[in-house]
Amino acid sequence: MDVSTMMGMLGNGFVATLQIFFLTLLGALPLGLLIAFLRMNTKGFHLRGVKIRPISLITQLYISIMRGTPLMLQLFVIYFAPYYVFGQQLTENSRFTATIVAFILNYAAYFAEIYRSGIQSIPRGQYEAAQVLGYSRAQTFVRIILPQVVKRILPPMTNEIITLVKDTSLAFAIGFVEMFTVAKSIVASQRTMAAFIAAGVMYYVFNLLVAFVMNHIEKKMNYYHD
Amino acid sequence: MSIVSLEHIKKSFDATPVLKDISLSVDEGEVVAIIGPSGGGKSTLLRCATLLETFESGSLAYGDLVVAHNNEQQHAVYGSRQTLSEARSRFGLVFQNFNLFPHYSVMRNITDAPIKVQKRNADEVKKQAKRLIARMGLEGKETMVPCELSGGQQQRVAIARALCMNPKMLFFDEPTSALDPELTQEVLKVIRSLAEDHMTMVIVTHEMAFARDVADRIIFMDGGVIVEEGPAHDLIEHPQHERTKAFLSRYDGE
Repeated sequence: MDVSTMMGMLGNGFVATLQIFFLTLLGALPLGLLIAFLRMNTKGFHLRGVKIRPISLITQLYISIMRGTPLMLQLFVIYFAPYYVFGQQLTENSRFTATIVAFILNYAAYFAEIYRSGIQSIPRGQYEAAQVLGYSRAQTFVRIILPQVVKRILPPMTNEIITLVKDTSLAFAIGFVEMFTVAKSIVASQRTMAAFIAAGVMYYVFNLLVAFVMNHIEKKMNYYHD
Repeated sequence: MSIVSLEHIKKSFDATPVLKDISLSVDEGEVVAIIGPSGGGKSTLLRCATLLETFESGSLAYGDLVVAHNNEQQHAVYGSRQTLSEARSRFGLVFQNFNLFPHYSVMRNITDAPIKVQKRNADEVKKQAKRLIARMGLEGKETMVPCELSGGQQQRVAIARALCMNPKMLFFDEPTSALDPELTQEVLKVIRSLAEDHMTMVIVTHEMAFARDVADRIIFMDGGVIVEEGPAHDLIEHPQHERTKAFLSRYDGE
């Protein structure tokens, strides 16, 4: 197999990798914010002097499970659940669906905690100033709080996003064909490490790009500090 | 008719009462200074008046707009969300720590709420903001962000931000307590000029000389009650109560 054939195959795999990457971000960034809100929800009742917050508790359990069990295991559970739980036949497409669903659910849990750390770090005075000026709760969050949160959570977000690039290779476990799956099969058939090296370089370069973009956004937001 | 009126306000944090039956009414054009030791309830009273805290008992009205009133069990019942929002449009509040929005420029700090909340014409708001910036002595700082300004400049932006909402009155919660003496003077100068224009103001302050010279009336609060109140000069120079005398003696020579 010549180099250009190999790179072509890896390139096709990389497109699938990018799909997982961008769809996960598209789903997990907003879902994470929603989960952060549910986690911080204070609605509840008193039971023998202890305040019980059901919405927050359920969300905490969710985050705990998502963080406390392997993503690979979650992939398998979500991939096989339609068959074992609902008796539905698995199709070629279900690998893709399971991958995206598992990644979004898993990453949203991590993102939620990052959002929460950012939201809770904004001083009370910002909310009070907004309230006195008549901003609605939605306006306060969108115009005043969120822009400041974004600036504060960029470094941990960069970490998570770089981890996501590498984690996309876990989709290999349920047979979804992305770049790592392709590299593995080339190595097995050609009896050379070249495909691993090439895939490794592509992951690395893509992560350099991610770091560069995030660094650029950080610099753009450095026009103020507080 | 008074601009703001609080009657028989009672408020406690957990089981500790911090306001014990406080009444305060401010007329149009009047400047009221509230003085007293820390923990005496001054800031809590201001926070109740500006709806940042709720009180358990008593009534609050802005002009003819009743914000909260007592029911038959003497529990305060607050008005609808609409009533509260209408009330908020009648006053401005200047905080001890400025609480400017750090990601907005000076101009945007002042104009964002009038444009986005009050839905006023953007060009008119910007014109008004420019006049306020000039009045605050902040020309040339329009595009700067708060972290590029001194504390005194930040506090003057905060005053301009409050004024741009065209409130009927202003509350100040220890507006100079975070500033050194020099910056304090530049902020006090601005408040003084507002007083000369007969802006209705309630000012919680530790600046006794300023309170005496600028306020029409001074209220001395301690232990959650109004110990003494009266015309500014009388109260500072001839306090009647022992507690007032003891408190003011610590500021002698100022």
